[in-house]
Amino acid sequence: MANFFANTWLLWLLITIGAFFYWRGLSSQYFSYVLHRYLLALGTLLVVSGIVFSLMEVLPGDCAEKYIAYKSTQGETITQADIDAERARMGLDKPLVVRWVKWVSNLALRGDLGFSCAKRQSVNLALGDRFWMSFWFCIAALFFSYLIALPFGILSAFSINKDWTDKNPLNSKREKIVNTIWLSFNKLLDLQLRLISYLGLALPNFLLALSIILLYVFAGESAPTGLYSDEWRNVPWFGDNGFEVDKLWDFLGHVWLPIFVIGWSATALQLQTVRALVVDENNKLYVDAARARGVTGMALWGGYPVRHSISPLFNSIGFDFQRVFNDLPIVAVVIGLTDSAALLIEALAQTNDQELAAGILFLVALVVISMNFITDAVLAAIDPRVRISVLGV
Amino acid sequence: MAISQLLAKFGRKKKPQSDESYYTAGQLSLIKDRFKRKMSGVVAAWILATMVIMSFFAPFFSPIDPTINGADIEYRRGSPQWIHFSDENGFSLRPFAYTYTKEKTGFDFKSLAAGGLDALDALTSSDALSSSSQNKYIINTEQRRYLQFFVQGWEYSLIDLSFAGFDLDWRSDRHLFGVENGEIHLMGTDEDGKDVYSRSIHAIWVTISIAVVALVVKLFFSLLVGGVSGYFGGKVDAVMMSFTEAVRVIPPIPIYLACAVALAQIDLTPIQRYFAIAVVIGALDFAALGRRLRTHILTERNQDYILAAQLCGSSTWRIIWRHLVPSFGSYIIVDTLINFPYVILAETSLSFLGLGLTEPINSLGVLLQKAQDPDIQQNMIWQFFPVVLFVFLVMAFVFVGDALRDAADPYAEKK
Repeated sequence: MANFFANTWLLWLLITIGAFFYWRGLSSQYFSYVLHRYLLALGTLLVVSGIVFSLMEVLPGDCAEKYIAYKSTQGETITQADIDAERARMGLDKPLVVRWVKWVSNLALRGDLGFSCAKRQSVNLALGDRFWMSFWFCIAALFFSYLIALPFGILSAFSINKDWTDKNPLNSKREKIVNTIWLSFNKLLDLQLRLISYLGLALPNFLLALSIILLYVFAGESAPTGLYSDEWRNVPWFGDNGFEVDKLWDFLGHVWLPIFVIGWSATALQLQTVRALVVDENNKLYVDAARARGVTGMALWGGYPVRHSISPLFNSIGFDFQRVFNDLPIVAVVIGLTDSAALLIEALAQTNDQELAAGILFLVALVVISMNFITDAVLAAIDPRVRISVLGV
Repeated sequence: MAISQLLAKFGRKKKPQSDESYYTAGQLSLIKDRFKRKMSGVVAAWILATMVIMSFFAPFFSPIDPTINGADIEYRRGSPQWIHFSDENGFSLRPFAYTYTKEKTGFDFKSLAAGGLDALDALTSSDALSSSSQNKYIINTEQRRYLQFFVQGWEYSLIDLSFAGFDLDWRSDRHLFGVENGEIHLMGTDEDGKDVYSRSIHAIWVTISIAVVALVVKLFFSLLVGGVSGYFGGKVDAVMMSFTEAVRVIPPIPIYLACAVALAQIDLTPIQRYFAIAVVIGALDFAALGRRLRTHILTERNQDYILAAQLCGSSTWRIIWRHLVPSFGSYIIVDTLINFPYVILAETSLSFLGLGLTEPINSLGVLLQKAQDPDIQQNMIWQFFPVVLFVFLVMAFVFVGDALRDAADPYAEKK
């Protein structure tokens, strides 16, 4: 009995969560919306698993060949019949759909991502903490890019349709000069900031990372590749004299490079998004109404268009995560990280490890979908209009 | 003040337009009018246009054949040759370059061949074999090579439509510039002696054309998915949108990679490979645009003009293509331009991993991949010229895209 539950724990967890939403949804519109989103997320996950699994079919080679190839290095002679027998034993001769159902049911029952033939260990074990490492890299890079994109995007939206000079006939000459200087300053600042942030997009990530490493080499210092220096790699976080602060500094001295590189390249699109959202909101009638009531300056900008453009921005965090993860593998290869993004490149381009690649891609999609689910749920809690637009109640 | 007024003069040339023409102007001419008022967009558009035209007519603008046929074996790993107007021998109105000759290694190769170990020792201990000293050239400032315009050189076909079935192959051997008695390498040469400047401007067109093919494929798939699911709605919509949603959450570069690995198994000619990569990049990128098209069509299809078309007996396809898609035309154009840099970046990422286009082809991705070679970074810094071009190209595209996005916004006029 305990064994049965140990093998199917994830399914029970999923059903319990669904049942909870259903039970609360009987009396609450909010929870019926959440249930709706929850089922949609699970459905999308199922489709993702199908896409990822069938995509991995295009990679050359299969498990049986790899296993047999390993055996042949051990000095056994191999025939085609051996490979076929191995294939039959592993169930690889069955049609794609059957294998996919088996993979998905293992995944849904106990979170088992399958067995990596190239590494000859289970994918869950091969990944270990590495996926979390990539996850935090992406979150940190996202945070970095939002930190830049939010204020500067708003500034950019502010100066978007402004003139360089103040032409208001009501203002006195003195006011005009002051306003003109202020507007020109804003325009120039906006242009510079956009140049810098788009430079992050235009400089290819791998070249940027390489150039930074090279600068260190030319300066004669050790380049911040990897996550720790050699001396700190094997030192535990909590040593004899409490927490190792020096290790933390060493870690921070290394970790900034990938975060900076992928964060900078993500900033450009983020900035464009913020800018477009704020401009869109600014064109709406309620902003005009507020302006007509005499609200001006920061009170107008902060309280009306900016405030309302936050929610679509918040809603897109999931896809932003996907975009940042998209850039991570190449940077990880250049910097010599050992996280799941680097594993993904290795699995796809070098070892053709279908199971590992499918597992990592599925996990990324899982994170994106869960983030979308959470942001949807939070937004619906704050803003009742969202629920009505979906449920039509 | 003066600067801002000057800028204002450049940035804002508002023609006094009568209200009539404003209200009857089409969507595209309105966008064009608004676009002209964005200074950064106009500057970027000029830069972009220059680069695109230069790269399209790259053989005309490049003095040297970028392929291995034009490689200058006497000037491998050569540094850029500057154009001068004056030196200690006097001033000249005609710009000129100097003659560069390679330093002859003063080793006795005969004794080396005869088995003289001392000579071998001398060769290895001197730095003649180290990569940085291979770049050394003697500049003969006495021997000027004057710059000439519209010179005859290697033959190329300026416009070749023979592959599309047209009987048009316009061949020429004129080039914009060249020097007398030899070749000029404006941006130096690479390790095979190929001219970096010529390669780079040829590469821009290859990269842009990949992006164009990819975007056309993308547009086709987006219109297909968005149009079908938006027009039919209901179950078709639900199935297609759940599929689109699923494609949208998977990071694209790993998928490109998987497809590129699969393509590497198939034996393709470079040209086929080039199209295959463009199609892969384009076909997987339909999700965002397709979704937006669907939303648009969902709202539009209940409009009266659609009903009128249906009552007139128009077929489903006709309504989609002739009525619904044109109503979305300007958005599609803007979105396509905004996506240009991202497609170019995808191509370079694939090339970086060695899975996109490969060496004999001149694409920016291939040249960028070369730039990560430590030898080039330390000894041949001029091979970063394509990187500079690439940065300019992407930036120009982004700024044009930004200005276009603003110009396409119908409410922008209000403020």
